[in-house]
Amino acid sequence: MSTQLAFASIGELAGRLRRGELSAASLVQCYADRIATLNPTSKAFISLDIDRARATAESLTIGPADSLLKGIPYACKDLFDVKGMVTSGGSRVLADNVAEHDADAVTQMNRAGAIFIGKNNLHEFAYGATGENTLYGTPPNPYDQSRLAGGSSSGSAAALGYGLCAAALGTDTGGSVRAPAALCGLVGFKPTFGRISTEGVIPYSWSLDHVGTLTRSAADTALLFNALASKVQTPAAVKLEGLRIGIPEGFFFERADTEILDSIDRLMNFLRGTGAKLIPVTMPSMEHSRTVSLTVQMPEALSYHNRYLEQRGALYSQDFRAGLALGQCLLAEQYIRAKRFIESYRRDMDRAFDGIDLLLTPATPAIAPKIGTVEVTVDGKAEPAGNAITRYTSFFNMTGHPAITLPCGMHSEGLPIAAQFVGKHFGDEELIATATLIESSYDFKITLPDIK
Amino acid sequence: MKRLQQQTLLGIRDQLGSYAWDDAEISELVDPQLGIITGFQELLDQLELLRKVDLGSIPPAADISSK
Repeated sequence: MSTQLAFASIGELAGRLRRGELSAASLVQCYADRIATLNPTSKAFISLDIDRARATAESLTIGPADSLLKGIPYACKDLFDVKGMVTSGGSRVLADNVAEHDADAVTQMNRAGAIFIGKNNLHEFAYGATGENTLYGTPPNPYDQSRLAGGSSSGSAAALGYGLCAAALGTDTGGSVRAPAALCGLVGFKPTFGRISTEGVIPYSWSLDHVGTLTRSAADTALLFNALASKVQTPAAVKLEGLRIGIPEGFFFERADTEILDSIDRLMNFLRGTGAKLIPVTMPSMEHSRTVSLTVQMPEALSYHNRYLEQRGALYSQDFRAGLALGQCLLAEQYIRAKRFIESYRRDMDRAFDGIDLLLTPATPAIAPKIGTVEVTVDGKAEPAGNAITRYTSFFNMTGHPAITLPCGMHSEGLPIAAQFVGKHFGDEELIATATLIESSYDFKITLPDIK
Repeated sequence: MKRLQQQTLLGIRDQLGSYAWDDAEISELVDPQLGIITGFQELLDQLELLRKVDLGSIPPAADISSK
């Protein structure tokens, strides 16, 4: 029973809560018991708020008119402020940083009736996609504990992957929600830039940061988005027949694991079979996109962390300090030029979206790397593991388009494979609705991890 | 463009108003030995290529507005 509940979607849980088959208090207890058993392995949570969650759950009455999130336990990456709790950023630097207010996203979740249970581990201050954390440990992948869950929202992905909560909030600056979700067999979503408030979230790079969600289904993503975003519209009825899906040429299908490409091929065949139109799309040049992103990220990160460096500089990890030092040594014109390139990418992408409704790419070029992997080699070319994990996701942080990653198969090595769909600016509702339709139509079901 | 010298970065640190990075950290940017961070010279080389691209009057990216 515990396992069945722990891996149920929000939709299933909400139904049971409404029918009186399950109480919110027993659901909180189910996750609390699993966290007590599995957190030492999963390293998913940095801090917990179980007593308050129990009290909240016991006070709830859930009726048919209530939000489907009412009584649903969720967690957030430890960059989000929760009043009265430490927001550590996964770092020694902020070990005493007690929040005075809830982050906007936490307020919105709580307002919808969701129950906060704890804060998730992460790559220190979101600097890195491997999720490695020397202080709190590195969350392992639920499908293979010798491999990474991915990051930087590593604990959020592990929390869902190990069945420790029903949904989680993360942040995505280059793929830090979508990539770990993809590697762990979950659904990861980042909205159009700015559609979910980042107020009360420790920034990494203001120009690229998005608050995003990790869930078990696209249908669950819709529930969270409705609670988190402003001015949510009911999407027009979506159907796959006639849907124009852009398939980018080049970059997004190069240097990728052949089994991942095969899975995306099967998905494309399914979509063709439904009457969707797959249309080749020429994308902006990606040649320098990582350079552009890094040139914006590091000075912005330095600008924020400058407030702590003088007094607490020695408490940062060595690799983050090195990144901040790099940010110090870039020129102002290089930063401004990078931001002009981002504007250029946005304009090119707007043109690319003429004549299509959404884009389809693989979510990652590789399955979850082994913990400790420095470089990933695909097609004979090596690249740093973190760069590989986010190679297909980071561009859309610069352009600000909404994007969702969905599981679409299993690799022969027993790890999940995922696809990424990208929508038009402010087309979040249609993107999520289309993803929900695809997941309900296509055999996306992947086996659950065998958690010992 | 000449290859980056450690002295240049030490000058930035000491003369342009910067956090007091350790000499070893500055050295690592110029001549990576520990594998903590690599590719700063490569990044600068790529930025030099980008400097030569004419972006016309395209402004820096700002917020995205709904149409």
